[in-house]
Amino acid sequence: MICNRIPLGVFLVVAAALYAQETKPKPALWSLRPVVRPELPTGGGNPIDVLVARKQEQKGLSPAGRAEKATLLRRLYLDLLGLPPSPEAVDAFLADASPEAYTKVVDRLLNDPQHGVRYARHWLDVLGYADVDHGMLAEPGIHHWRDWVITALNRDVPYDQFVRAHVAGDLSANPGDVFATGFLARAAHSPVDRTEEVAFAAVEKISSAFMAMTVNCAKCHDHMYDPISQRDYYAMKALFDPLLPDKRLLASADEILRHPDVLENWKARQDAIQARMDVITRPYEKQIFEERMTFLPKDVEAVFRKDPAARTSEEQAIVKRYETVVVPDARKFRDVMKPDETVRYEAIRKELTELRRDPPVIPAFWSVRVDAERAAAKSHLYLGGDRTKKGAEVQPGFPFAPQDVAFKGDRRQAFLGWLTAPENPLFARVAVNRLWQWHFGEGIAATPSDFGRTGQMPVNPALLDWLASEFVQRKFSMKAMHRLIVTSGLYQRSAVVPPDQEAANRAIDPGNKHLWKFPVRRLDAEAIRDSVLQAAGTLDTSIGGRSFRGEDIMERRVMSAPVTGHYDTRSNRRGIYMGRGADTSMNMLPSYLSLFDAEDGHTPCARRERSVTAPQVLFLLNGSLVQEASKKLAKRLEPAGDPVHYGFKLVLGRPPSPAERDVALSYLQGAGAARLEGFSWMLMNLSEFVFLP
Amino acid sequence: MNFSNPLSAPGRRAFMRRMSFGVGGAALGCLWAEDEKFLRAGSGTHFAPKVKSVIFLFMCGGVSAMDTFDPKDNKWAGKMLETLNSNNGKPQLRPVLHIPRVWTRYGKAGTPVCEWFPHIGGVMDDIAVVRSMYCHEVGHFPACWEMSTGHRNRLFDHPSIGAWTGYALGAANKNLPAFVNMGRPSAPAQASGGYLGVQEGATPFQAGDTPLDNLKLPAGLSRVERDRQMEVLAKLNRQFHEQHAFDAEVAARVRGYELAGTLQLAGPELVDFSREPEHVRKLYGVGEPETDEFGRQMLLARRLAERGVRFIQVCHGGGMGNGKWDAHDDVADHGPLARQTDKPIAGLIRDLKQRGMLDSTMVVWATEFGRTPYSQNNVGRDHNPHGFTCWLAGGGVKGGIVHGATDEIGYKVAEKPQYVTDLQATVLQQMGLDHKKMHVVVNGRPLHMIEEGTGPIQAILG
Repeated sequence: MICNRIPLGVFLVVAAALYAQETKPKPALWSLRPVVRPELPTGGGNPIDVLVARKQEQKGLSPAGRAEKATLLRRLYLDLLGLPPSPEAVDAFLADASPEAYTKVVDRLLNDPQHGVRYARHWLDVLGYADVDHGMLAEPGIHHWRDWVITALNRDVPYDQFVRAHVAGDLSANPGDVFATGFLARAAHSPVDRTEEVAFAAVEKISSAFMAMTVNCAKCHDHMYDPISQRDYYAMKALFDPLLPDKRLLASADEILRHPDVLENWKARQDAIQARMDVITRPYEKQIFEERMTFLPKDVEAVFRKDPAARTSEEQAIVKRYETVVVPDARKFRDVMKPDETVRYEAIRKELTELRRDPPVIPAFWSVRVDAERAAAKSHLYLGGDRTKKGAEVQPGFPFAPQDVAFKGDRRQAFLGWLTAPENPLFARVAVNRLWQWHFGEGIAATPSDFGRTGQMPVNPALLDWLASEFVQRKFSMKAMHRLIVTSGLYQRSAVVPPDQEAANRAIDPGNKHLWKFPVRRLDAEAIRDSVLQAAGTLDTSIGGRSFRGEDIMERRVMSAPVTGHYDTRSNRRGIYMGRGADTSMNMLPSYLSLFDAEDGHTPCARRERSVTAPQVLFLLNGSLVQEASKKLAKRLEPAGDPVHYGFKLVLGRPPSPAERDVALSYLQGAGAARLEGFSWMLMNLSEFVFLP
Repeated sequence: MNFSNPLSAPGRRAFMRRMSFGVGGAALGCLWAEDEKFLRAGSGTHFAPKVKSVIFLFMCGGVSAMDTFDPKDNKWAGKMLETLNSNNGKPQLRPVLHIPRVWTRYGKAGTPVCEWFPHIGGVMDDIAVVRSMYCHEVGHFPACWEMSTGHRNRLFDHPSIGAWTGYALGAANKNLPAFVNMGRPSAPAQASGGYLGVQEGATPFQAGDTPLDNLKLPAGLSRVERDRQMEVLAKLNRQFHEQHAFDAEVAARVRGYELAGTLQLAGPELVDFSREPEHVRKLYGVGEPETDEFGRQMLLARRLAERGVRFIQVCHGGGMGNGKWDAHDDVADHGPLARQTDKPIAGLIRDLKQRGMLDSTMVVWATEFGRTPYSQNNVGRDHNPHGFTCWLAGGGVKGGIVHGATDEIGYKVAEKPQYVTDLQATVLQQMGLDHKKMHVVVNGRPLHMIEEGTGPIQAILG
């Protein structure tokens, strides 16, 4: 959370000043003004380049030249797939001298199923995906939501439909869209949702992800900076008030019908184990009973020693009261048993515990449904955000709603009608800004989930508007936008410029906000790990299914519905499948992910940090991931005629320079296979390996 | 065995943030900064500090006061008592348990201590026992949250007291973090930087071969070979590093290599106890099976205090589940836990004293709540937030005194009630901080570290 160290006094003065302004009309937010499509010369090439060049000329910046082919290929692969290119892909691309060589690769990668995997991870950050979150109801089966996002991106589901599925997939004509509602259901902790978690979370997550507005700030009071009242917050919440979590069974009719038998069988197996335990404990019951009698007052003891049939009702009450003191427990038995009995007893007890931990369940997924009773109930504002203090009644609505919104049928439809309308300037701007950020590291507006007054203004408003209008024209096709962006000259620029030019540009734009060169940046957690495993030749690129457990995450069962094989056992899958989440009592974010700035999904993450730290360096230098991968990579390099050449292409997507080749060969000289492991380790410890070039 | 450490996520994040450089211009990590200017602007004490370091011992699970430092008469044993923490709002009747403890009076004031803590008994003249602590929460995680952050309200991501001290005072040693945690906490809140930022959370240290992960070379690799590899690696990196010398993230990685090297050299020294004299290691119980683990943590705590770490938290019995001190089944379960900690804690206090560090180092022994006088299951006790015991030593605390009291069965506070934040306010005051002035503005809203309670427990301070 971002923290302002403003002294309290100053804060109050500022707050009072802002409050005083309240009466004066504020200028409309830039993000709410209509999109103006800039005029462009005909035949000027990719409009992105035209609009960026305008800004750069205005600023006096001189752009970098085109990057080398090998660099471009690695950039495209890491950006669009999150994986480095194979040596074969490198060779093919370097050999292809045709003018279409680049666009052919772009089209191939955008149609590669791994593209959906890569961009799903970006979206899941924004939407707050977590496998585990403080005992969330939707935990079993939540991965179906993740897999829906992957599939939707691969099928290039238009963005407006993508958003509709997340907000109201339960109403969609396409039955698969129900999986997108894991987004809504994931907030609930109980099937009755008494604390309205689904509705509250829906407001917060939808407004930040699809509107880039901090509507959440208006939960307890009117927004202090943006034109969002507390009433707006609760009006938007009223859209979701009728919703309850809804369990959808994912089994055949036959499996469901047979379930009671399976359950009965499971209970019978428990009884059988219990009977074996009783045989061992029975002889000790008397002994423990006698011991427990010493804890009791004499009169109570007398009652216990009486024939149960002869006890008065008063005496029976006394027995009931003291029962917990007298009944022996497992650990007491262990204390008094013979050692060999303890061993047997413990073994049986373990068997029982294991069995109880995995009751047979019907696979299911949690969606939402409209509850008729809730739909008929009135919605209220909560004073100060306190759920025990009901305020005025509110009608369904949302911030910035036009006067004449008609709520017919499901309330969410009216909202979606406004939100996803081609003329809603916010909708397309927010989306294209995110896509831009994922290609270039920063959005055109640097606060992708805050387009309000506390957010940052776009550095190139004309460019953002052109992209937004183009997105609408292209019927919200995300792949079309990706293609447009990565085929621009801007995207193909080198990340390196001559020193003089660097100095001159840096003097004007030190942060490279105007992209006078390609912004080299650290790869994210998933891409680094996937690259290591791919170099080792062990990466499993199969798509979808349960998440696997990070190595420092304890096996954890779902309290409400334990599931056998809750985790995938294949830990060599892509990083998106590495389970993550939050829990009050234990760490659920693998240390690897947190080391490289991945979030736990508890709150949406608009932009990951990109820290570069000594512990990261140490992890790659000495950690087991790279150690093991080095051994495997060495085995791959051994049969190659020229292991240095092959190693560079395999790991870095380019042949070595003559100087690099000499350095590597001098290390390997005469040492045979022994040093191939060291060489492999070196390739994965190069800075170049962890950067998008 | 690989345990899940609730700390590792925020902790590692914090540590690496402290160790990031150059990104965005300013040095983000005060950890390695070479001069005072990196200490946070506007931070500092409100009045002259008496304490340089706090060693906060958190006994996870809830220690029974009437079985440790708050003896009660057994005349109530077996009588039925109406419970306050009831099921479904209905009070229940439960029998008061017999307390099978042997009490010995220690020190000049003759403070009674049970047979489980003979070594702590031996340093009773340095300890002020507060028998009148209370909190509100009945569950472990909420109570740990309350004890660590001073708040029950979970709407805001409140930071723990260690984070507050680091935030306010910065790091005294530029090579070490301000807030360190050893042992596994019960709840992440105990080590959380909360809304102060992940960088204020505790850095997890361990008293093993290295204080941090990945410091040691992989097995089977010689130092000589690694040095050779690093040399070649540097050559292969040169072009990329030169080409991107102006790119902040690449520059940060260049620094990262250097720091990794420094850490690999300095880290093992921190946890290398071989230069500690035999008698000192013995004092902490290092090398004895029961006390070795906690003894090492106490010894490392002293070494961290010597090196200026502000807040050293050591969690005992935490991690998975509710905490090991959570004696629902049998209070006798406290026995082994007490044996693990008794000698090391007493050793720490004696060692600090013999080095002249006790006046400037405050040791706090705390737990999230106490236990009920009545039976919950068999011979165990339930959670009791209504009255429990914590104690303090050093750092200007009067030794050999007892403050406050519970009622005659040890259920509720009877005299001088002290809310958990009073303990925190006491710690802060001795560190030179006024708890009433500790607030920050988060998303436009002022949040205070302490809102409840009566302030520092002046009666126990010299």
